[in-house]
Amino acid sequence: MSNQIEYERNKAGSKISKIVVDRDLCIGAQSCLAPGGTTYEIDDENKVVVKDANAVEDADLIASAQACPTKAISLYDKDGQLVD
Amino acid sequence: MKEYKYLIVGGGVAGTTAAGTIRQHDPAGSIAIISDEPHYLYSRVMLSKPNFFLGKIPFDQIWLRDENWYQNKNINFIGGRTVTKLDHQDRLVHLDDNSGIKYEKLLLATGMSPRPLAVPGIEKRGVHYLRTLDQGKGIIESVSTVKRAVAVGGGFISFEMANIMHMSGAQVTIIIREDRFWAPILDATASQIVEQAIELSGVKLSRRAQVDQINGNINVTGITLHDGTIIPCDAVICGIGAYCNIDWVKESGIKIDRGILANQHLETNLPDVWTAGDVSQFSDPILEEEVQLGNWINAQEQGRIAGLNMLGNKTPFTFVSFYTSHGFDTSITFIGNVSPQKASVTITRHGPSDNQHAQIIMVDDQVVGAVLINQTPILQALSKIIASNLNITDKKSQLEDPNFDLNLLIDQ
Repeated sequence: MSNQIEYERNKAGSKISKIVVDRDLCIGAQSCLAPGGTTYEIDDENKVVVKDANAVEDADLIASAQACPTKAISLYDKDGQLVD
Repeated sequence: MKEYKYLIVGGGVAGTTAAGTIRQHDPAGSIAIISDEPHYLYSRVMLSKPNFFLGKIPFDQIWLRDENWYQNKNINFIGGRTVTKLDHQDRLVHLDDNSGIKYEKLLLATGMSPRPLAVPGIEKRGVHYLRTLDQGKGIIESVSTVKRAVAVGGGFISFEMANIMHMSGAQVTIIIREDRFWAPILDATASQIVEQAIELSGVKLSRRAQVDQINGNINVTGITLHDGTIIPCDAVICGIGAYCNIDWVKESGIKIDRGILANQHLETNLPDVWTAGDVSQFSDPILEEEVQLGNWINAQEQGRIAGLNMLGNKTPFTFVSFYTSHGFDTSITFIGNVSPQKASVTITRHGPSDNQHAQIIMVDDQVVGAVLINQTPILQALSKIIASNLNITDKKSQLEDPNFDLNLLIDQ
């Protein structure tokens, strides 16, 4: 998939350093909005974009990625390993 | 006889989320999930999405949990089995293979089933419902060869599937009994926007129409409407609503209505029995009425809350859920409770564009739900307004004004 947008995260104490949203997969179900708090917003194409990558703690960010019914959100640690 | 500390009936997102939540906090207690489908958790949301249907997303993207997840969490998945009876006195559920499973704590998360279209010919090949993965596969297999399709019903299945069939090149007719699309949930203006989008695409909309018969020998060749009109087609998608299949719990003494009744902690009237997801008809503390919502995110969040409460917590379910349906370049969003039983007043917020519209539903002086057409940018603000129980008596004119920033109401 080529249509991926990467967002750097540098929240103190967090093991997650990158949020990747795959816009081809995102269907705008918006399931991530509830656990993800102010991390995300919906753009004019009804796709998720990251507004504040440092908004919530790791547990909530992981929950927001798991909540996605199309697996459009991936989280990575500083070594590039998938966090789930 | 097998016995589990936590037994979950229903392998969808509510049941699976509950199981995961329980395991997070109780590393040792035995957990089993009984599902009438043979599959691990998959995305029911994807089943009606064009990217998935038309092969733009790999099929395997539908799986949300794999075997490792169940094994690592020591959750026993009992797939392809139907529960036939609940015997709460003996803390026992009966299965269709005549076996029984005992429990200490039980979660009922059995979801809904599509309402069958009760007309002659319904058994013909080419008649589809869309609820399970296997039903979805059946439609996917037929999509490429279908030339003419009929979608029956004025709801989201019909809306999304008509769009997919149209995108795949079929000539599509939508049959609705009402005089406008998705009535009465959508108001006249909202229906009109959606209908214009449907008809602009070339899809036909047949209003005040009722299917009398499905024609054909083995395969569908068409449908006959009540007025005698025959519409030739080689596929029929039935989307005329859903119901809860809860006959099996009736003798247990559990209180039911359309779904299984629960308090705001998702507890039923039976001790140690909870319910979550589409099947739960839970007590809303603000509205003081029982609410039943059939959407993914509601089921997911209820699963989480039920799981927490099965562990001994008393966490109330207060989440404002929403669901967005897409088709024909139009989005339809439902937030919160869009059809309260109590007397309600609807504020309309039209614009700024002609195809943007919102119905904001109020009970007394609070917003309880909303329907948005092409208005996803105000979804979050409205969800917050609903969740905050804001008194909006003197703010109606601001809610009506499409140029007013709703976030200003929350920050006040």
